[in-house]
Amino acid sequence: MADELLPLIAAGDTRAFGLWVAGCEHTLRLSLRRYAASVDTEAVLQEALLRVWQVAPKFQVDGRPDALLRFAQVAARNVALSEIRRLGTKPVDEAEGDVAVAAASPDPLLRAAVKDCRDKLPGKPRDALDQRLESAGGDDDHVLAERLGMKLNTFLQNFTRARKLLAECLKKRGIDLEMELSP
Amino acid sequence: MTREEELLLEQVTSAHRRRRADGSVQSHPAWHDLDDAGRLAAFDETVLQRKLESAMDADGLSTTARALLGRITRGG
Repeated sequence: MADELLPLIAAGDTRAFGLWVAGCEHTLRLSLRRYAASVDTEAVLQEALLRVWQVAPKFQVDGRPDALLRFAQVAARNVALSEIRRLGTKPVDEAEGDVAVAAASPDPLLRAAVKDCRDKLPGKPRDALDQRLESAGGDDDHVLAERLGMKLNTFLQNFTRARKLLAECLKKRGIDLEMELSP
Repeated sequence: MTREEELLLEQVTSAHRRRRADGSVQSHPAWHDLDDAGRLAAFDETVLQRKLESAMDADGLSTTARALLGRITRGG
């Protein structure tokens, strides 16, 4: 699926790029775990994915599967190393090599369970969660808290409560989110 | 983890990131205030949150993906 999207992405199709990111984000993020104490991996991942988008029109496939994903992994590592040098944070041992990456498909069972559990969240935690989702990274938490008439700490506490309640609800349904932390 | 550290962690799990003057994506200010253990905990929590966000989104997009597409479509 990921490679099939490449011609569309190269042609500037943002929807195709979104589909590609949806399938690759999780594995790419996990590949950055070893840098997590030295760089803000969310910033690194966003920067790497922006570079993928910029390079895509000229990207040459090498005939092996997941070509763009493998390129993205290298881009993410390079951004992380550059950021470590810029910040002067703890270097990471590169000797252990890259974590294998592979594109994934959506999980319909998880989707259904998450929807049910989200619907059961109490008011304020649900509001905090919904603000983050609706904002989609567009606003910082100060702005989101203000929209809900909350102080920042209150907003964050409600968000913490929402994610803990979601995790508990999913666990009751036999879904252990901790499994997602394994590469 | 102290309550203060937990609040920092929660901020770091947001997909909101400012841009530097050169257009590159900037670290979250709260990330710098976490110690190594806090940063790893924030990483793990972000992995889980993005998985849930993707599951809650009609197109399977996390807030990271939505933030990225927002920047691309706005030309930022």
